[in-house]
Amino acid sequence: MREPDRLPPLSSDVPVARRRYDRERRARIEAEQLLEAKSRELYDANTALRKQAESLEEAIRQRTADFEAARIQAEAANAAKSVFLATMSHEIRTPLNGVLGMAEALNDTSLTLAQRDMLNVVLHSGRLLQTVLNDILDLSKIEAGKYEIEEVAFNLLDTVRSVEAMFALKAQEKGLDLKIVFGPGADGWIRGDPDRLRQILGNLVSNAIKFTSKGSVHVSIDICAVNDRHELFLIVADTGKGISSEERDRLFKPYEQSNSAISREFGGTGLGLSISRRFCQLMHGDLSVESNACGGATFTARFRVSPAQPPKLVSDRNHQDDLKRLLLERPLRILAAEDNKTNQLVLRSLLNSLDLTLEIVSDGSALIAAWEQRRPDLILMDIQMPIMNGQEATAAIRHAECKRKITRTPIIALSANMMRHHEIEYRKIGMDGCVPKPFRKEQLFSVMLACLK
Amino acid sequence: MKGIVFVELIRMAETVMGEEAVDEVLDKCELSTDGAYTTVGNYPCTELITLVEAFSKHSGTPSAELQRLFGKWMHEHFVLSYPSFFTDKADALSMLSAIEDEVHVEVRKLYPDAELPRFDTERLGPNVLCMTYRSPRPLNDFCQGLVEGCVDHFGHHADIHRQDLACTREHACNFTITLRD
Repeated sequence: MREPDRLPPLSSDVPVARRRYDRERRARIEAEQLLEAKSRELYDANTALRKQAESLEEAIRQRTADFEAARIQAEAANAAKSVFLATMSHEIRTPLNGVLGMAEALNDTSLTLAQRDMLNVVLHSGRLLQTVLNDILDLSKIEAGKYEIEEVAFNLLDTVRSVEAMFALKAQEKGLDLKIVFGPGADGWIRGDPDRLRQILGNLVSNAIKFTSKGSVHVSIDICAVNDRHELFLIVADTGKGISSEERDRLFKPYEQSNSAISREFGGTGLGLSISRRFCQLMHGDLSVESNACGGATFTARFRVSPAQPPKLVSDRNHQDDLKRLLLERPLRILAAEDNKTNQLVLRSLLNSLDLTLEIVSDGSALIAAWEQRRPDLILMDIQMPIMNGQEATAAIRHAECKRKITRTPIIALSANMMRHHEIEYRKIGMDGCVPKPFRKEQLFSVMLACLK
Repeated sequence: MKGIVFVELIRMAETVMGEEAVDEVLDKCELSTDGAYTTVGNYPCTELITLVEAFSKHSGTPSAELQRLFGKWMHEHFVLSYPSFFTDKADALSMLSAIEDEVHVEVRKLYPDAELPRFDTERLGPNVLCMTYRSPRPLNDFCQGLVEGCVDHFGHHADIHRQDLACTREHACNFTITLRD
């Protein structure tokens, strides 16, 4: 049977019955009413949907605004904390600088054995305080995203050995076997941040010695190359009591030690591991720990380095002796600008051992006046000073030298703010070298020597 | 123009002239749909004018008068189909004042593409309303019928004064409606 057409054929010849016509007409009216009702329903549904979408959007807007406000508030609080920490540590550093500088100077004088013992305690405690202060400052810099990783060529073996030397005595005192093994890839010179390496390895070795009462601390150092990328591995394994999984979670959180009894028994800020891990991460690596129930913990720090050629000439000579030799050849006149009385005294004490003339003024403007009066052989310039700061004074001197075509006087920056970008900035305005505060005699002499040569 | 106007015009014509006469008129006119209209469709306004002219000619009623009568008829249809608009209005003036902001708002919900005329109203006194009608279509008389239908629906006696306005782009007129009771 053929399927019927949807509509019967229209024919004007066939008359339509009245009943049928009325029925069709009613159907049309009903269809129209139905369509109108459906249109209305559709409109209402659309309106409801639109309202719902609007209220959702409004809720999202509101929440985004809340989150944004909370984020801004948190960032502002964190920035304020970082500024506070930086300011505070500067405020603490300056007097500490004085204490340590004077203690070092005192060490060069003749002392009785008892006095020297007392002085060693002062120096040791001061340096410990300096470490704590540096930890806090490091973390606040990392958290503020302002930490700058160095990239210089250095001798891996020497750097690791210097860490070993720092802890060998302590390990020996505790009867621990401190052993360092270098893998086949770890020899010679690499490019990276040697100070961060020292800090990380020092932290891991120091912890291992601290928490191991008997047995050994084994360190293995190696470099693995994968697809042109070189990763340095520092693995420190101890035979201590180990770390529970619960303690492991807290281990890398700043200001938290695995349990509060540890801070009472062993001291420390609880920042070391947290900082070390952040350093590794800044250098595209990580720091992890493994420990088993039988005891012992193994910390693995890894981060990216690149291979480097050893420099052609490596001077291993004593800077102080070199300076002394230089002074025999010609007398030196040094002009320094330093507003802080303690730092002035430290500077004077450090340079006291050398036969030179030292004139110290308190600000940049006084330094320019002194420089005008009589040209020195070298200028030591503090950065933060009243009246005229170190950058302004340097710029003025360089400008005058250039204008009057006179010999350039070497200028060394002295500052507590000696991050990489500061150094670049100082060199840009015409400074020749930088010495970070608190001064270390060796470093100061080495930079002075480099500038005078 | 909305199909409802065509459907109701034909329905009115059928009531007055009978179905056969209407068919005869429709057959004679040139219409896009051969005279088949649905309330929910849209059709050219020129066809409405053609139909009004044709019914006017056939019945002998002047086209302006036919438009006015059709306006009254249409009003009745509105009352029957959409009673909710009328129930809460106290008088015809309130109803006429509500066309733009109430009735047309609802019409646009159902027919977003509807091209609606504009009704601006101003109360000149408690019993006097001035209403300006503007439309691109020549339907001033139809509008007058609507106004009269509205006044009748509320059972008022009223004076309705109309003044056609000369506009180049549209058709417009002012109605001043004064309720007498």
